[in-house]
Amino acid sequence: MRVRTAAVAAVAALSLSACAGGGTPAGSNSAAAPSGHELAVPTTPVTITFEEAMTIGTLKPAMDKLVADFQAKYPNITVKLQGDPDYATMYTKEKAEVQAGNAPTIGQVYESWASYFQSGGAITPISELAGTDTPPQLAGFYKGVQKDLALGDGKNWMWPFNKSVLILFYNADMLKAAGQSEPKTWDDYATAMKAVSTNGVTGSTIDPGTAAGAAFGTQWFEILTKADGGALYDADGTPHLNDAGAVKAMTYLKSLKDAHALATGKNYPGETALGALKGAFDISSAAGYGFEKKTVGDKLTLGISALPSGPQGAVNELTGTNMVVFKNATADQKAAAWAFMKFITGPEEQAGWAAASGYLPVTPQALPQMQDFIAQNPYETAAVSQLDTAFALPPYNWIFKCQGYEATAIQDVLDNGAAPADALKTAQDACATAKTQG
Amino acid sequence: MLATVLGVTATTTARPLAVPGRPARRRNQARDFRTTRWGWAYSAPAVLIFATFVIVPTGYTFYVSLWKWNALNPAMSTFKGVGNYQRLFAATQPTFLSSVWHSLYFSGAMVIGGTAVSLAMALLLQRGGVLLNASRVALFVPHATPVIATSMIWVWIFNPRFGLADWVLHSLHLPTSDWLQSSGSSMPAVIIYSLWHEVGFTTVVFLGGLATLPNELSEAARVDGCSAWQEFWYITWHQLRPVTTFVVAITAITSLQAFTQFYALSGGGPVYATTTLSYLVYQEAFVLSDTGYGAALAVVLFAVTVLFTLVRRRTAAGSESSLV
Repeated sequence: MRVRTAAVAAVAALSLSACAGGGTPAGSNSAAAPSGHELAVPTTPVTITFEEAMTIGTLKPAMDKLVADFQAKYPNITVKLQGDPDYATMYTKEKAEVQAGNAPTIGQVYESWASYFQSGGAITPISELAGTDTPPQLAGFYKGVQKDLALGDGKNWMWPFNKSVLILFYNADMLKAAGQSEPKTWDDYATAMKAVSTNGVTGSTIDPGTAAGAAFGTQWFEILTKADGGALYDADGTPHLNDAGAVKAMTYLKSLKDAHALATGKNYPGETALGALKGAFDISSAAGYGFEKKTVGDKLTLGISALPSGPQGAVNELTGTNMVVFKNATADQKAAAWAFMKFITGPEEQAGWAAASGYLPVTPQALPQMQDFIAQNPYETAAVSQLDTAFALPPYNWIFKCQGYEATAIQDVLDNGAAPADALKTAQDACATAKTQG
Repeated sequence: MLATVLGVTATTTARPLAVPGRPARRRNQARDFRTTRWGWAYSAPAVLIFATFVIVPTGYTFYVSLWKWNALNPAMSTFKGVGNYQRLFAATQPTFLSSVWHSLYFSGAMVIGGTAVSLAMALLLQRGGVLLNASRVALFVPHATPVIATSMIWVWIFNPRFGLADWVLHSLHLPTSDWLQSSGSSMPAVIIYSLWHEVGFTTVVFLGGLATLPNELSEAARVDGCSAWQEFWYITWHQLRPVTTFVVAITAITSLQAFTQFYALSGGGPVYATTTLSYLVYQEAFVLSDTGYGAALAVVLFAVTVLFTLVRRRTAAGSESSLV
């Protein structure tokens, strides 16, 4: 009986292997040559799907409005939103849908996710949609946004969606009481953090991220590293996680922790602590403004500023995602998807989207239509100005793993008291191995 | 005296004497029926379902483990042979052995702690009455709740700055803990949650076992002058050995496969301190998209679980034969 069972299993495995056809390349992961012709907006009824995570708070109505506006202009095109509660769930679903041959037409992606999808020949290059790798709309985007759309082959595979940078939220009343002012440099920030950390208050609480994904604490470390002159990664994704700048940045974090001015947590801990009057600062996405405001209510005067500067000047990192069009869409769906992506990144829609969602407009052409919003939210001017210079990590799929190693190193230093150089050496070795494995 | 008690136990709890040949004939009849066409026909639906959802995926997982698997496009996969298995011992973040150790740590704590606590609770609650019956329900309720939902609540209970756990410790002037934020305390925190969630079920199992025990042996032991501890150790628990074996086996297997609480409470961290083998399978295969390596880990987890099952079967056979 046992022999029979084993035989059945072996036959099943072999039959599946035959189905899988492993080892015989059948897909393409290279961009097709530009046709020179942009896909025309279809005139017959078309339905496209969009896998997205704009499902909570003010994001959902903002997303719904984009779709409603588009459908009003193109009544023959129906956009079905496939909402997910968070990015991790969305990525898992997108992968499962591609594997099942049932990918959405459009999906939100981080750069490393797009690289992974490209490696499986699952997405469509922009050139196939626009007829060129550099459609005219591209030049209208902020420079940092423009650079964030290409993958390792140098060609554009993504189109911008919900972009942002990190900004500093703080309890202005607490700073005033401690005799501190808005920090302009990271040294100022450390001084202010230590000054307010008394009577049960910890300057800031960060989420360092986990091995399964980065969080704002991970990005703060990356920003500090760049501000201290560190490289982090070469353009080809080669890691430098334990260079002098990275060690200096990690040492900075450790000194704050040792001074009881920094704590770690999860589930937006900085925002929670700020609202509970147990924290003075929170480094978070500009898109988190609505959430921060709701959390603190009338309990304090919420200050907002651009991130402090380091020896290398003002450094910021792009947050948020881009869009890709999946390969298994029909020609009409791809054409409709391209029309949708161009429409929602146009100046008028971006102005409305940015004001309603808190994300930053991807084009400065939206700003003239946002004057009322900017007057009420002065931080917006400083935040959008950083979209020209904000960096993005190289678009390779191992970077996703490496950010997990960065997060683990931060945990090891802040939670276990490990030496920064040792923790980062471990992260560097693991990341270099991940790069080798591809 | 104890020898007498043990002797009584051995003879009184023995199964009714079987008529020689009878059970054997019944087994033979059953075997004969299973080999008929009707036997195959009746069992075919179950076999088909089992094959579809267990045997084939298991074989497929082993197959995938031999490749650098491109889950998006299997045709682009490259054959690695035992390469993924070699990587098990080359990986550093985390090391394979550390995740095995975390699995054993968690399983050991759940088996020992869970069995001891649930047996103690069952002994306390076995007498019945309105209050104790209500306590049984209260004890079982956590097991009826979804792990993912209650884990999210316990994340806040364990919050070192705003959580209930540290508030209680602080109120009692006891040292507080960082719970899920520290490598040293994160696994104990997950174990505390898991015990809270699982003990209700195993307590009910023990209560069921206690309900079937005859009173005569305990009365005889007390007449012979046994203390309460001796009565428990040599009479009650001795008779509960099959139940205990079942609880230990079930707890060991479910603990080895535990995933949700690690996902929701700790995310395998900090610094991989709660990355068990089953969590690592998920992380590698589904988060980091390293499907071939994840499949190799799954095969190892499968082998470990099979090993536990075989040990359980051998132990169960031993415990049953000891009572005959």
